[in-house]
Amino acid sequence: MNNSNSIDETANRRGFLKNIAASVVAAGALAPVTLSAKDDPALIEEPEWGKKLGFPVDATPYGQPSPYEHNVIRRVHKLLSSGDMYASVAMCPIQDLSGIITPNGLFFHRSHGGAAIVDPNEYRLVIHGLVEKPLVLTLEQLKRYPSESRIHFIECPANGSTEWRAPQFNTLQFMKGMMSSAEWTGVKLSTLLKDVGIKPEAKWVLAEGSDNSHMGRTLPVEKILDDAMVVWAQNGEALRPEQGYPVRLLVPGWEGNLNVKWLKRLEFGDKPWHAKEETSKYTMLTPSGKAIRFFWPMEVNSVITSPCPDKPWTDLKKGDIVEIEGLAWTGQGTVKGVDISFDGGKNWVEANLKGLVLPKSWTRFSYMYKWEGKPILLSSRAYDDAGFVQPTIDQEVKVMGVEAIYHRNAIVTWEVKANGEVNNVHIRS
Amino acid sequence: MFTLEVKKISKVVALTLFAVTTFVNAGDVKDVKGPSFKERAIDGSVEYKVKDNSYAGVYKVNPQVAKEKIKYGRTPSKTEIKAGDIDVRYDWQGLPDGKGSVAKGDELFEAKCAMCHGDMGSGGKGYPKLTGGDITTLKNQLVHPENGDEGPERSIGAYWPYASTLWWYIKTGMPFPHPMSLSNDDVYAIVAYLLSVEEIQIDGKDLDDDYVLDKKKLMKVVMPNVNGFYPDVNGKDGPMVMKKFLSDPKNYGTPTKRCMKDCPTAKVVHIKASLNDGITPPLSEKRDMPKEKKSAGGDNKFAKLYKAKCSACHGNDAIAPKVGKKDSWADRIKQGKDTLYKHALKGFKGMPAKGGNADLSDADVKGIVDYMIEQSK
Repeated sequence: MNNSNSIDETANRRGFLKNIAASVVAAGALAPVTLSAKDDPALIEEPEWGKKLGFPVDATPYGQPSPYEHNVIRRVHKLLSSGDMYASVAMCPIQDLSGIITPNGLFFHRSHGGAAIVDPNEYRLVIHGLVEKPLVLTLEQLKRYPSESRIHFIECPANGSTEWRAPQFNTLQFMKGMMSSAEWTGVKLSTLLKDVGIKPEAKWVLAEGSDNSHMGRTLPVEKILDDAMVVWAQNGEALRPEQGYPVRLLVPGWEGNLNVKWLKRLEFGDKPWHAKEETSKYTMLTPSGKAIRFFWPMEVNSVITSPCPDKPWTDLKKGDIVEIEGLAWTGQGTVKGVDISFDGGKNWVEANLKGLVLPKSWTRFSYMYKWEGKPILLSSRAYDDAGFVQPTIDQEVKVMGVEAIYHRNAIVTWEVKANGEVNNVHIRS
Repeated sequence: MFTLEVKKISKVVALTLFAVTTFVNAGDVKDVKGPSFKERAIDGSVEYKVKDNSYAGVYKVNPQVAKEKIKYGRTPSKTEIKAGDIDVRYDWQGLPDGKGSVAKGDELFEAKCAMCHGDMGSGGKGYPKLTGGDITTLKNQLVHPENGDEGPERSIGAYWPYASTLWWYIKTGMPFPHPMSLSNDDVYAIVAYLLSVEEIQIDGKDLDDDYVLDKKKLMKVVMPNVNGFYPDVNGKDGPMVMKKFLSDPKNYGTPTKRCMKDCPTAKVVHIKASLNDGITPPLSEKRDMPKEKKSAGGDNKFAKLYKAKCSACHGNDAIAPKVGKKDSWADRIKQGKDTLYKHALKGFKGMPAKGGNADLSDADVKGIVDYMIEQSK
């Protein structure tokens, strides 16, 4: 039915409704209702919630999603933990998300020793090492600095790590759910450090958290002064404990692990530290037997979110026009475009970007497609303004092998079957 | 866009580039243009600037901020800085004094580490395997496990480039449920033990049982895989080395061209054994009212204490009898509560006294035992 407001149209619709009423026999509260097979009771009958009071405005001082959305939650898998649910990851249900912002309760949660509950009154940030004037700040003092807000994704470099050898998960949540996106608010480190004064011999910074794992990671001073921030807010409210309440480091576009949570210390030095997550883990072993030591940015990447194994096309009829929608992202700049293939990567067409297109951010893409009910192999391939293109599986494996664990960004392909079911497949030589 | 970039480079290069681009565009492959090396940030990405009070052309910024020098807070004292400075850098900056023997380390490992990392760090408990790897396996690629392919063994001695990481990791991250609880001497002892298990030598000598490791000796350790990592970032120009590495996408299998037509493709590989079954809670796209949750006593004090203090081990049957797993508890429950209280309070086999939670009162420990029994009947 169209949305025309013309008088003729309205008159016709009135006539149409009259006819329905006649066949239904006065759909009043007390009158019996006779439905024809075609009539939808959801339209004819007054629903339960229209016949009673809803919940009062003071029932949920902190609002909750509809109980009907109880399946839209973070999920875990034993294989992705290091022994228990303290050093583990809870995956974000990206198949159920819209736009480019993740609600705080659904933001993926990776911790190395559980999520610390830090007392904000005892929070201190210490900046020391090769600086002119070491500094200690309370939370109140930190939040006095002028703030900026930026929308950035955070992605664990192990996102998609189960796919190196072969396809293993048939759900978007576990293929790509080790990432989420938020609007972060805090102070840019370039602003915070101006009075501290970094000494010229300082090349590196150790960022350290105050949680059980005392996570330490080394960053180059260049990044700290470029766009890194110390943030205290996420989507308008204080950081959640699992995102490092009260303060985390935000390193736009870089490995999630570098965005150190529960941040307590920044030490400047002339050499890199080689912390546990720069040696025993978060290093990428290649077929040469040697490992890439540091790999900071998350590379250009994309995935089609509709359809996907969780959101198939089983309800579509042949000839339906349907939107193919997806997420593209890059930590190395801004998404410039996305191509789509219907034949497993042999031929490609350009999709359209939509909504906000921001640096180091999730970007939505869209393509209108006529579904013919014939099997297709649906892939997306993003490229960015750094000049980099998402690789095929063969291209990436040729250089990286299958033991790198981290930084897998190869093209994802969905097998859409004639009945609309969707499966995760690999295109491999 | 293209003309703008051409202007920035020399004419000769520009002409060559133009020719190449024209050629590939005429076919079915499109070049994706990136910035020059100079215009790239430290990670090879585009470096965005603030221009006309706008960052990257999308975020407005307040120009007053850049003009001010803002300062809050105070200068911390030397003692305050030292108290928090717990890191140990690869060049040993930050390594404190202390000493410990291999034998002492063996004892400590048995008491505090083996329940998760296995005997001598050999794994098998679901937590990381620490020892027993082989540097020659690092070239292994586990492509076809069904054909008997073996993967690389990333143990401490086979993979870790620096022994400093070992000291730092154990001191600040272990034992997992109680980090920062080991004395420096204890850390030296455990490090000595693990180096000895991994057959690392110091001064050409094996670390036998009565070997005592101290700061001076530890600083001599060169790990077998010290040269197994690249690029070399330890020199003066480390960050610039990284910029070069990351700006060249060939280093990590990333192309710079988009093939649009008649591209090389390959065969379709399907999922052989889906991992979806192990997902918790199970996947569901249903929009319905949630089922009433069964009360598992999850709200009481002892349930919370159990979760916070005991579940790291008792949530994993490979380490300790898993709460809720009836088979693991049936025989234990038969021994009677008094025996279980005693074991919990005084320690028993791999179980340290009070599970290593000295801060728990006896009454709390007993309450937790009651809760664990109740959940496991």
